[in-house]
Amino acid sequence: MATVQFKGIVKKFGDNLVLNGVDVDIKDHEFVVIVGPSGCGKTTLLRMLAGLEEITDGEILIDNLLVNELHPSKREIAMVFQDYALYPHMTVEENMNFALRLRKMDKAEIASRVAEASNVLQLNKFLKRMPKQLSGGQRQRVAIGRAIVRKPKVFLFDEPLSNLDAKLREEMRVEIAKLYQRLNATIIYVTHDQVEAMTLAGRIVIMNHGIVQQVGSPIEVYRKPCNLFVAGFIGSPTMNFMTGKLALEGEALFFKNEDIKLSIPPYLLSDAKKHDGREVVLGVRPDDVLVERDGEKCSDKVQGVLEVCELLGHRENLYLKVGGMRVLATVEAFFNRSPGSAVTLCFNYKNMHVFDKATESRISE
Amino acid sequence: MDILKSIYEVVWFILLVAAGVAALEGYFYTHFKFYARAWFFPAVLGVFPALALAVFGGLLGGYTFKLWLYFLLAEAAIAAFFRYAVKGRHTVPYLLLAPAFVGLALLLVYPFVFEVYLSFHDLKLTTIMMWKNTGTLPFVGIDQYVKVFTTSPLSEVTFWALLGRTLLWTFSNVFFHVAGGFILALMLNNQIRFKGFYRTLLVIPWAMPQVVAVLAMRGEFHSTNGFVNILIGKLLAVFPFLAALGVAPVQWLTDYPLLTCTLINIWLGIPFMMVVILGGLQSISSSYYDAADIDGASYFQKLRFITMPLVRPVMMPAVTLGTVWTFNNINVIYLVTGQAGGTEQADILVSALYKAAFTYNRYSYSAAFAIVVFAMLFFFSVFYLKSFDAAKDER
Amino acid sequence: MKKEMSAAAKRRRLNHLLLHAGLFLFAAACVYPLLRIFSVSLRPGDKLVSMDLSLIPAGATFVSYAKLLGDTMFLRWLWNSLLITLATSFIGVSLASTAAYAFSRFRFPGKKVGMILLLSSQMIPAGMLILPLFLMIMKLKLMNTYLGMIIAYSVSSLPFSIWILKGYYDTIPRSLEEAALVDGTSQVGAFWRIILPLSTPALSIAFLFNFTTAWNEYLVARVVLFSSQQYTWTLGLFELQGQYITQWGMFAAGSMLVTIPVLCVFLYSSKWLISGLTLGSVKG
Repeated sequence: MATVQFKGIVKKFGDNLVLNGVDVDIKDHEFVVIVGPSGCGKTTLLRMLAGLEEITDGEILIDNLLVNELHPSKREIAMVFQDYALYPHMTVEENMNFALRLRKMDKAEIASRVAEASNVLQLNKFLKRMPKQLSGGQRQRVAIGRAIVRKPKVFLFDEPLSNLDAKLREEMRVEIAKLYQRLNATIIYVTHDQVEAMTLAGRIVIMNHGIVQQVGSPIEVYRKPCNLFVAGFIGSPTMNFMTGKLALEGEALFFKNEDIKLSIPPYLLSDAKKHDGREVVLGVRPDDVLVERDGEKCSDKVQGVLEVCELLGHRENLYLKVGGMRVLATVEAFFNRSPGSAVTLCFNYKNMHVFDKATESRISE
Repeated sequence: MDILKSIYEVVWFILLVAAGVAALEGYFYTHFKFYARAWFFPAVLGVFPALALAVFGGLLGGYTFKLWLYFLLAEAAIAAFFRYAVKGRHTVPYLLLAPAFVGLALLLVYPFVFEVYLSFHDLKLTTIMMWKNTGTLPFVGIDQYVKVFTTSPLSEVTFWALLGRTLLWTFSNVFFHVAGGFILALMLNNQIRFKGFYRTLLVIPWAMPQVVAVLAMRGEFHSTNGFVNILIGKLLAVFPFLAALGVAPVQWLTDYPLLTCTLINIWLGIPFMMVVILGGLQSISSSYYDAADIDGASYFQKLRFITMPLVRPVMMPAVTLGTVWTFNNINVIYLVTGQAGGTEQADILVSALYKAAFTYNRYSYSAAFAIVVFAMLFFFSVFYLKSFDAAKDER
Repeated sequence: MKKEMSAAAKRRRLNHLLLHAGLFLFAAACVYPLLRIFSVSLRPGDKLVSMDLSLIPAGATFVSYAKLLGDTMFLRWLWNSLLITLATSFIGVSLASTAAYAFSRFRFPGKKVGMILLLSSQMIPAGMLILPLFLMIMKLKLMNTYLGMIIAYSVSSLPFSIWILKGYYDTIPRSLEEAALVDGTSQVGAFWRIILPLSTPALSIAFLFNFTTAWNEYLVARVVLFSSQQYTWTLGLFELQGQYITQWGMFAAGSMLVTIPVLCVFLYSSKWLISGLTLGSVKG
């Protein structure tokens, strides 16, 4: 029901620059996840949108209305806090209708909204309980319920799942996804967990050091990370990086370092001559390291040594050493070799990324 | 009805305080809110000094032009401060703080400043009527301070003797408080039965109203009826050889008043230290002791290398506070040695100060005395806290 | 192996026995004076001064209690103390609760200076402020009144109360207030609706601290009050245990009457009190 725009947002805590010119446009009904390592400014950005943090410079607009100076309660937003922030001295019901009571809303209307929200979240049984009598997951649901009854323009989630254990986190992730389909509202969700970002988001905003690194759909940021940071941050296990130099040998372009020499096909880097002598970082996801296997569009074979195997179930992580370089490969289980044995591997060109070493930005197609 | 009248009186006063707080908040709010308006200066300079004159003039007993001028100047300074320095920032915290700090200013800072004023003048029984009528006092410069160091605040004991006695009193009390508290806390910090019961009984001296506790203990040190001497008598009957060691019932209150006071105060002060240290002991994770057990540490090694260092941060603030409290403790000595005519042998600085003011009515002298004592205590605390901070940084 | 175990167990039992003996001795030393007061208060009039050490004296009576309540103004003194103390504590806690909130949640110029000022006010010798307060109260013509006493007492526990409350507020997560802000309260509204109700334990401790300080105060009362109509119980009790003639029976009965309620409240709340004390001082 609402659009949100960040225009040139700057935030300073004293001399400490936390956000350095953030511009993001969020469309109506969109589920946007802001993701980044801790200290990247993502929570600060959310809190500025909520009105809990002063804006040093820039403009925030909700539905094209400038909200910079507006009190949090006037912004028609609802927020789910990391520690849930349930009022310990109020029952679940009182927690949920607190905001409505403050607005002196009609009692029947309050009751119907609370009933509706508690139905959706299966909280009917707990309405008269105090927050400390609830489990973590239930508290989480109350916090979401408190947001829903408000019928706000924008929902803000501040790392809502980080206090839950792994299993509950997965459950709640699905719940939130369902809730989004049902509410069809604009949601802005902050997390440091890239799995949450990939599974929930319509669009992902990746931040680092107070700067937006890339904005795009989960597939875009996974397939075409625009710089080294995004490439390393998105995807699990982390992408393999190899540092080296590009060199022209005849017409063909080669990637070289002390341990390895790979030909770089033109569909990866066109205009080979331009790149001669460039220092680059080559990125390959562990899924695209093929061990003892052939593939379509695969690089030349390389010799390596198997160091450690990690069985995950249907997949297996192989820690390999190519010369002095460490490479991680994820393959189908079971890879029947003992540590120490020599293996041959190759890299899938289709999902290979080339980054400039100095600028760290992507140069491959 | 008497009771109704007293309730009425107190409720009326509380309402008065509430009204005062409301007026104060309104006063500051005006300054925060309208500091930038064109009419700010004329309005506040016109209204507030007049109001202040109406209220305080009545209280202080005069509507003189001079007083009004003071209010006007003060308001001008406050208004300028709000306009050019504060500029409407931090409204909420300052409004929240205002009542408490104005209360402190009136009842703590102002008396303190007044004490300084008194110490340079001469207020005593013979000049108090003159002060009441005219509001002026003879100025004597540092005479009172000279007297503090050269004459006795009471009838014979000197400042230096009092100082030595105070240091002895403070040191011995704090030492036994900490030592006793530590031993008791160590004993309580075991898995034993009736722990809660013992703990409850052990804090009783702290929990009892101090006046009751001290007066009762004073009775117990009475030479014939107090149980201390009765107990000594019974011990002597059972173990006659003790008499050869010089143990005998004594006239506690007249012969050893300071010792009596010290014993009573030690009895009073141990529970506080015990509870603080026990809190510290319980916060030490048992895994340290498990690790030390595996490393083969003995009980005393564990005490020395684990318990002591880990309890220290909890203990130090309490020890600082306890030192200041003991240094300032009038109650015990005053209640035990009584008022006029009582012995002077037990007096420490602060009790001599109180007696000089209210038994001997030497007001200005005691003011100078108080400031000397405060200065000593202040420098001790600053030095002590500094060294504590330094120790904190080292870790 | 088994023999060794039993030796260790035996040693532990001996240790515990020693511990119990030591704790019992100390506990007895702590309780005995109180029991003595109790025993004296039960003595019949002719045996008040005696070498008797038994707890329940021969011919125990409540005569002293009856005499205390009938012949002296003890009830009136208690009432005076109660009124003064309640008013003082109420004013003190109200002022401290808001000031502590400002110190706990806001950044503003003068914060550090304010905190240091509060701390250094603890260094002022108790006797030092009595004189100027006495002169002030005299000038305001409030000698021998409740108001004079309340004025003299009201800020004495303020610094300490502020420290305790600030320590407690610091433990309440900020996100609760932020949630309240988003829900539509003002900053002051969040304090009133969220922080204050949550702080009842700390507020009661501060109240208790104010209460016991004023309830047990003696020195200021000695100076401000001079007619026995207006006495607080501390003055009254001291009068009973006068310089030359000690009304032992009545003194003991009065002591029991004021001690029992204070003791109950104190023991009930001592756990909180100490956590408040350590919080306030350690976090400084």
